[in-house]
Amino acid sequence: MARTSDATRPDTESEPEPPRRRARRGERQAAAETGVWYPRWYWPSFSLPGVVVLAFLFVLPAYVVISVAFGTTDFERFGRAVPYYAPWWWSFDTFNQTLSQFWGPDAIYQDALIRTFAFVFSASAICLVLGYSVAYFTARKTTKYKGLVLILLISPLWISYLMRIYAWQGLLDTGGPINVLLGPFGFRETDLLSGLPVTVILGLVYGYIPFMILPIYASLDRIQENLLEAGRDLGASGRQTFWRVTLPMSRPAILTGLVIVTLPMFGDYYTNDLLGSTRTQMFGNLIAVQNELSGGKTRTASLVIILSVIVLVPMLYYLRETRRASERA
Amino acid sequence: MERHWSRRQFLGRAAGSAVAVPSLAAILAACSKPGEGSGGDGSPASDIPIATLDDPVTLPLNADPIPADTPIESGPLIYYNWADYIYKKEIAKFEEKFGVEVEITTFNNMEEGIAKVESGQVQPDVFFPTKGYLRRLVQNDLVQPLQHELIPNIENMWPIYSDPGPYYDREWRYTVPYTIYTWGVAYRRDRVTDDEIAAQGWDALWNNEYEGEISLYNSYGDTIAVAILRNGSLEVNTDDPALIDEAKNAVLETIDQNGARLTINGVYAKLPAGDYTVAESWSGDIVGAQWYLPKDVDWDVLGYWRPDPGQSMTDNDLIAIPSGATNPRLAHEFINFFLDERVAYDNFRYWNGYQPPLSSIEPDKLIADGVVPPTLPMAVVSQDMFAQDLTPYELPPEVDQLWQAAWTEITS
Repeated sequence: MARTSDATRPDTESEPEPPRRRARRGERQAAAETGVWYPRWYWPSFSLPGVVVLAFLFVLPAYVVISVAFGTTDFERFGRAVPYYAPWWWSFDTFNQTLSQFWGPDAIYQDALIRTFAFVFSASAICLVLGYSVAYFTARKTTKYKGLVLILLISPLWISYLMRIYAWQGLLDTGGPINVLLGPFGFRETDLLSGLPVTVILGLVYGYIPFMILPIYASLDRIQENLLEAGRDLGASGRQTFWRVTLPMSRPAILTGLVIVTLPMFGDYYTNDLLGSTRTQMFGNLIAVQNELSGGKTRTASLVIILSVIVLVPMLYYLRETRRASERA
Repeated sequence: MERHWSRRQFLGRAAGSAVAVPSLAAILAACSKPGEGSGGDGSPASDIPIATLDDPVTLPLNADPIPADTPIESGPLIYYNWADYIYKKEIAKFEEKFGVEVEITTFNNMEEGIAKVESGQVQPDVFFPTKGYLRRLVQNDLVQPLQHELIPNIENMWPIYSDPGPYYDREWRYTVPYTIYTWGVAYRRDRVTDDEIAAQGWDALWNNEYEGEISLYNSYGDTIAVAILRNGSLEVNTDDPALIDEAKNAVLETIDQNGARLTINGVYAKLPAGDYTVAESWSGDIVGAQWYLPKDVDWDVLGYWRPDPGQSMTDNDLIAIPSGATNPRLAHEFINFFLDERVAYDNFRYWNGYQPPLSSIEPDKLIADGVVPPTLPMAVVSQDMFAQDLTPYELPPEVDQLWQAAWTEITS
């Protein structure tokens, strides 16, 4: 509505205004014309719930974690953390010590760090390839049973993750069905739960793949048929249409899926707890171990900060990419 | 006048107010350096020394015990202990006898238990701490002195526990013993013989023949101490970095080369199931394991080895009454009830597997009565072992940190 009234108004400025500003100015104009007036705080107040949630569920806890990491430990009170809330008391001893344990001569965390990256990248890549195929199939090839397929895809989430991993323990155990099935193909009976990277990666893929499928499915489902037909009309083969139309259009969804899947994987510890061993410890396990040691809370918080910085990198990349995508659109 | 906020202005201001909220609170809280007033690195001057067998400690009284004529409260009694560490039928008997309810709350590790008692998140009437925490529990006024007149059943326990009282709590001012146990090697007798294990001792946990079937406790105090013993030292409370380092390397060795696993239910659940052949074990776990055996497996597959008394490691768990208890008299009754000969014995024999230090218990009789399988004679703890054996003490913070650093390396 604003836009139409704006269009009829003769342009007074010499330079053409960017469309957004023109639209906003039109709104203002309309408000002046209709006499509807909002107080200054009216529109900003709509963000209040969001701000409160962000403050109490993110900013405040993050600040507490920082204060614990830069605080000290009271050993007479059973090694509980003494957070320093005021930045001028902050002590960086524990944090620096923890950081130094990732590289150099005292690098006790290095293996776990490298392992975490390797596991997360492999698992995310498998999730992407498998998840994309499943999403593509669901969006394109199932017409009559689409709803059913979707329900089946989500159905594992109805059962607790813990229960499902216990089921995997049974499947993977020595003498379990997987060992029995692989036997005739010349595989030696192996204890798949004895801390094998492949088992942990399998667990990660299994646990997170639904979160990859859903955003990609939603995106593929929305690609209009006529765009693909246009591609074919213009002489592209089926494969070319996929590479040049479908895939670029689902790129934002791929990124979203990767972020949803990768970020929690970096902090995952229970998958390894249940399917791996000390030999497959991930970053999340380092945090869990320190948290259970008396007097380990300062180190726990330091590790949490380090992990947060690590996952910030893919997060920033994601934000930059999505902004670019929205600018292009 | 500009009546609209641009999106950017709005976001900027919103973020500003979001940051302002916590930092204001933080500034208020941070007027003084935290931990200095209330005792940062050295709370109310740590004047209670760490108790050892050679230097027993009489803990100072932080209050008077409740009067002996305190009326029995109506409950419910809040009970706070490790999960699965008491026979619920005996608790039901207590409820029946006193016409009260017992609310059972549990913790998964001592850290959690202590933290919740300290913060007041759980306000138990009876609490089962381990020995290493007792000094600090008293120091921080978190437990209350016991009224001895209300606990006549202490007579049933080994005399050392009341006269003169155990070294960590002379005159048994705050605690009574709950169970006593040793550390050893639990094994499957259908896969390895008693003689083979006796010949190897702790080295069984380092034997490559049992690759992938070795379990160690996922607990730094226990497993590092066992590695120290295995390395030929008896310094199970060592502050020597070299010994700790050797122990760490030993644990890493058996994990890397023999696929040893760190578990908590390795002995009582997984050994009976056949997942492990040898396991680091508390004696109570292996006695309790008989109830976890699959139906078609005979109890005689379970074996337990420990070093000879004097070289083995013994410890006991405690019952105490927190200072915040709302039913202190009832808590005394509960303690007295579980020191009753019949109750303590039944708790042990029908369910728990962890032996109470009852004077009436004789090793031979335990086996004759079928309480302890005949294949586990070494799982029985005898009275003289209490004073004779090695035992873990509370480690001073700087030593504890060395142990934890070793554990961190083992688990990363």
